[in-house]
Amino acid sequence: MQRLFSDFRRPSGQRPGAIWWSFIAVATVVVFALPQVLDLAQLLDLSVVFVLALLALSMSFLWGYVGILSFGQTAFFGLGGYVYAVAAMNWGDTTLPFLLGILVPLAFAALLGVFMVYGKISDIYFSVMTLVITLILNKAMRATSGDQYVIGDVRLNGQNGIPGVPPLQVPWNPTVTLFIDHVYYLSAALIVLVYVGLRLLLTTSFGRVLVGIRENERRIELLGYDARRYKFAAFALSGGVAGLSGTMFAIWGNFVAPEMFGLGQAAEVIIWVIVGGKSTLIGPIVGTGIIQYLTSWLGTQGVGQVTLVLGVVLVVFVLLFKEGLVPTLGSLIARLFGGRRKQGEAE
Amino acid sequence: MTGASPKGILETRDLRKVFGGVHAVDGVDFVLKEGELRCLIGPNGAGKSTFFKLVTGQIQPSDGQIFFDGHEVSAHASHEIARLGVGIKNQKPDVFDGLSARENLWLAAQFAHDKAGARRQVEEVIERLQLGGFVHRLVGELAHGQRQWVEIGMVMAREPRLILLDEPSAGMGQEERVRTAELLKELNRTTTIVVVEHDMQFIKRIADIVTVFHRGKVLREAKVDVVLSDPEVRDVYLGRTEVA
Repeated sequence: MQRLFSDFRRPSGQRPGAIWWSFIAVATVVVFALPQVLDLAQLLDLSVVFVLALLALSMSFLWGYVGILSFGQTAFFGLGGYVYAVAAMNWGDTTLPFLLGILVPLAFAALLGVFMVYGKISDIYFSVMTLVITLILNKAMRATSGDQYVIGDVRLNGQNGIPGVPPLQVPWNPTVTLFIDHVYYLSAALIVLVYVGLRLLLTTSFGRVLVGIRENERRIELLGYDARRYKFAAFALSGGVAGLSGTMFAIWGNFVAPEMFGLGQAAEVIIWVIVGGKSTLIGPIVGTGIIQYLTSWLGTQGVGQVTLVLGVVLVVFVLLFKEGLVPTLGSLIARLFGGRRKQGEAE
Repeated sequence: MTGASPKGILETRDLRKVFGGVHAVDGVDFVLKEGELRCLIGPNGAGKSTFFKLVTGQIQPSDGQIFFDGHEVSAHASHEIARLGVGIKNQKPDVFDGLSARENLWLAAQFAHDKAGARRQVEEVIERLQLGGFVHRLVGELAHGQRQWVEIGMVMAREPRLILLDEPSAGMGQEERVRTAELLKELNRTTTIVVVEHDMQFIKRIADIVTVFHRGKVLREAKVDVVLSDPEVRDVYLGRTEVA
């Protein structure tokens, strides 16, 4: 039981046990069975939760494991969406644009990483700079409403965004495009794969060092590891995951707009991650779901100040559940079932 | 590199570190021969821990040079110095609190060995340091002495050529101190060691040559008996006289 709880509190470099795999299997079955009972509108809502949860995962991976708070995950998110939109609309085909929607943000994050990680910028300036970068991109995209801002045949359209982003085609049969339920299955598969992939990454030599950096960066350096190399790689990887999220967002909504880079979007990701719990990877997924549903529920209740309510939720969580929802519940259940034994005894 | 070629496995020349006008290390010339087990003593604030931090690249010197195994490492980052073969146990336990003792050792061993070698090395350290009783527990939950053992184990797991230990017996009971002393003597058969200590019994048990630090400078350097019977050293420790 302890291993399951450790994954819900503060995963280490240990291999997840059979219980964790069972949890993944059950969750996968449930997620893939839901289309049998949900209608298309509900599937559409749930798809975007999975898509945005990828963005939350990209932040919590970096923040929870390497200790870097990147406000600018939305820069890679927006970039992924725009790259996919522009490339797919120009080329007609969507397979290569889909890959570019991941690779271009990854490369952009790598480039920024060279300056910021190797430039020995302190953590607080790292956060500020990433925020500034996403705001610059937001501003730049808003300023592209003129006729001269065209890439190939696609007008960037400034703050109106780009409508009519093509749906994803089946790579081996481009005449078939993905419909709402297919996008749901793809989003569900991606969130499961990325979550499992990032969790298993922690069990590799690379991942164990990331966990070590989270715990004590000085000791990692004194053991001979160049922490900057690992931070750089983690930052680039998180850029790629955020890019994937942006690409899927463009596919889900058939639309991209400068708001993808905006302050509101950047702040929302932080709320998802804090509410869910940044020390786990499952927490931000849960946080995204709760906040997204809370936001739309508040909308249906006629609450005008949704942002204000979200702010209160954030304050409550920061003050009362410092670790976030999932780690707090994980600790509670572990205490109920496991006495005083802790994660290390699971091995 | 300037001047004469470096002597010994570790040498510092006119090493200085100034913190806001305070000369924490003030012109230290230090030579350590390969295979030595050297003790550094001195009152609190004498500059011993700062000296260790300089040698391991945790802080950069204000002036002077540091040579390890013939290479100048004065401006090297700590991971580069570690790769050359320097391991350190800091004064306060400097471990991965959120990981188990075994994971701590594994992180240390995997850098220096392949997978099978790292596994072997971890088991060997666990057996040698008798960590078996708490190897699966989170290090943050262990007693101070046990955390010290884990940190010493991490340093050993990398098999460095030079080990720096800052107060290895602090927080340990008498029995553990004897064990630590025996362990250091055993380690010294293959590794050069420098130990910062306050416990004179412990120092007598392990040391041959002792270097006394005072106000950032080397005050004395001689055989342990000579140093400990030196009136000036005794006065510095007891704080009775000012030493220029």
